[in-house]
Amino acid sequence: MRGFKSLEFILGATLVGGIGLAILLSGLLFPDGGESINLGARLMRPFVDARHLLGTDPLGRDVLARVVVGGKISLKVGAFSVAGAVVVGVAMGLVSGYYRGIWDVIVMRFADVQLALPFILMAITFIAIFGGGLTNTIILLIVSQWVQYARLVRGSVLALREREFILAAKAIGVPDVSILFGHLLPNLIGPVIVLMTLNVANNILLESSLTFLGLGVDPTIPSWGGMLADGRTYLQNAWWVSVFPGLAILLTVLGLNLLGDWLRDSLDPTGRTAR
Amino acid sequence: MKRVLMTSLLASVAVVGGWFAAAPAQAAGTLTVSSPQDPGSWDPIDTFLINWASVATNIYDGLTYRGPDGKLVPGLATAWQELDDGKRVRFTLRKGVSFHNGEPFDAKAVKFTFDRLLGDEGKKGPQRSNYTVIEAVEIVDDFTVDFRLSAPDPVLLVKLAGYGAMIVPPKYVQEKGDDFFNAHPVGTGPFKFVSYEPKIGIKLEAYAQHWGGAPKLDRLEYRFIAEPATAVAELQAGRVDLVIPPTIPIGMISTIESNPKLAIAAVPGPGVDALRFNTKSGITKDERVRKAMIMAVDRDAIIQSILQGQAQPIASFQGALSFGYDPSLKPLPFDPAQAKALLKEAGVKPGTAVQIDVRGNDATFVEVAQAVAAYLQGVGLTASIKPYEVNVLLNDIIPSGKTGEMFQQKWGGWTLDYDNTAYAMYHTGQKWNPYDSDPKLDEMLESQRSITDRVQRERILQGIARYAAERALEMPLYNSNAIYGVNKRVKNFVPAPDNRLRLDGVSVD
Repeated sequence: MRGFKSLEFILGATLVGGIGLAILLSGLLFPDGGESINLGARLMRPFVDARHLLGTDPLGRDVLARVVVGGKISLKVGAFSVAGAVVVGVAMGLVSGYYRGIWDVIVMRFADVQLALPFILMAITFIAIFGGGLTNTIILLIVSQWVQYARLVRGSVLALREREFILAAKAIGVPDVSILFGHLLPNLIGPVIVLMTLNVANNILLESSLTFLGLGVDPTIPSWGGMLADGRTYLQNAWWVSVFPGLAILLTVLGLNLLGDWLRDSLDPTGRTAR
Repeated sequence: MKRVLMTSLLASVAVVGGWFAAAPAQAAGTLTVSSPQDPGSWDPIDTFLINWASVATNIYDGLTYRGPDGKLVPGLATAWQELDDGKRVRFTLRKGVSFHNGEPFDAKAVKFTFDRLLGDEGKKGPQRSNYTVIEAVEIVDDFTVDFRLSAPDPVLLVKLAGYGAMIVPPKYVQEKGDDFFNAHPVGTGPFKFVSYEPKIGIKLEAYAQHWGGAPKLDRLEYRFIAEPATAVAELQAGRVDLVIPPTIPIGMISTIESNPKLAIAAVPGPGVDALRFNTKSGITKDERVRKAMIMAVDRDAIIQSILQGQAQPIASFQGALSFGYDPSLKPLPFDPAQAKALLKEAGVKPGTAVQIDVRGNDATFVEVAQAVAAYLQGVGLTASIKPYEVNVLLNDIIPSGKTGEMFQQKWGGWTLDYDNTAYAMYHTGQKWNPYDSDPKLDEMLESQRSITDRVQRERILQGIARYAAERALEMPLYNSNAIYGVNKRVKNFVPAPDNRLRLDGVSVD
């Protein structure tokens, strides 16, 4: 187990903790939710007016307030979609890799079919049927991403299930559930965590492209991705509209990656990666 | 050896670099235009895209011509007269005109063009339905033709100036076939076709024998650049001279204006934007609520701030260019107090939810909708915005009446005639009218369709606009400008409101 004193942990925890705290307190700090429009104060530069420290956007809304409040939506999308996809994908992967047979064939062929569908096509179809909004966006991301985890886990299980310690556990009569979650899972969680940390960031950006296509959340509710998309046309004359939410995504992802690295190393039962 | 190789490599890099550096300067007399869309086929009967017309207006001529000033003038026909109470129109054709391939232009070419448009080949395309009022084209002599109509059509002469009515060379189309013609257009226009690369661009060169005189440019090149940021970057780099609408987002105007070599040329276009109401159910069924919502929104402030003045307020669903526009019709004023009073009178409780459906990819309008939502908030309504994928909104949500209280309606209106708009918006059973059915409105809309007397027709159309405004069938927002980004080396450029650019009078330094 790696200590809490490692640089990765301290940096990662500070970033994620700081951003998390700011988002938790956002209701107190910015009671208007960054939604009050003031057409008279549009596109104000940052660091000029104390009331709008990071400037204002094309509708005169405070960028700082929107970045802080917007984190709520973005992190919600990032966290819930990844958590959901991991739960479904890991369970599917474990079961199909361990039991093989008909179950494996069904799950994996289904996965193949799904991988052959382009994400945007799936997104447009899904949202045409079920409608947009936050919950549906999260469900869509889960549906489209569980396959990645299932494949990753299944591959690792196929290699691990023939190893001596699994055979030994089977021989002494350890129940399947313990083998799956007690013996197999800890040995393959490393790459899953790496994929998770990458996907959190990816999904924050995907939410923005969905919003951009008009499939995501209500544009009045701030989200980092939506702010990036809004600020794109203003990039040359009002960089602050998109740069600050971009920076927020960067710092969050960096923090999560550092924490993920640390967590993976700490959880690795072989201790190989420990330095 | 190595060193020699390196030196020669460097030399060739320098040469190539020099060539690239010289490229932006361009050969004298070449104009490069950035267009957002490749129409895919250059055949007039295959298209309804504005960006087809921004190229093809230079290749083809119609019997009539409508320039940037919106006035209808003679094209390949020098004169026309109405016979048989408007059911026959006789055109006198221009003499001594020939197509780019040398074929002469005469009555046979006109008959061939319309037989093709109204026949089997035309059935495959979207243009035919605009011209079905034409029963037959009859040749009187080599330079006189009669159009026999099933009913008088007041908009026919305008329709003959564009799109499907462009005159095509009979022999060329028959010999080479339609597929070849799609990619190798030939007309009588001021520029002739040189080469076309799908999705990349099309090149034209001057046709010195054009009946209107030789164009001032030697060459005219179009590049298809869909991404606004790329098009503007190319304009800034000097690799394109002209960026045509719909490309430049409002947010990039100041970027272009701040560059001393570039300018913005804007002109009110025919396009209008409105938020239409669900008049069938919910709180917006009540006319008072609709009026209150219109009065709650400061449309002028939206135009001045978000649209940076690149639009004009409207009182009915048409711009000033439209036939049927009534300058004396004024929009409802911005009056939040009155709006609140009206809402109270109608029994709408504070905090009542209102949903606005918009096209998700329309960045500017999404901003406008957010401002509208904020204004509605100001009179006590809780407004939310629901972005849809464009095709879902246009082909399902609106036609089947599944919208929120309000929905975005954009309208192009290239015929510059209110009939085209109003009939589609207000007549019972139309695709764009899922909610309303008003016998009085239906009757007015039908009555003007067969009248060719302009004054009388204009009066009816203005009456329709006034009636629709009285019933507050939509929140009229604005009539937006067509925005062009121009390099200052381009001279005599007149921005066309409808994107039908004819560039024969333009020159470059």
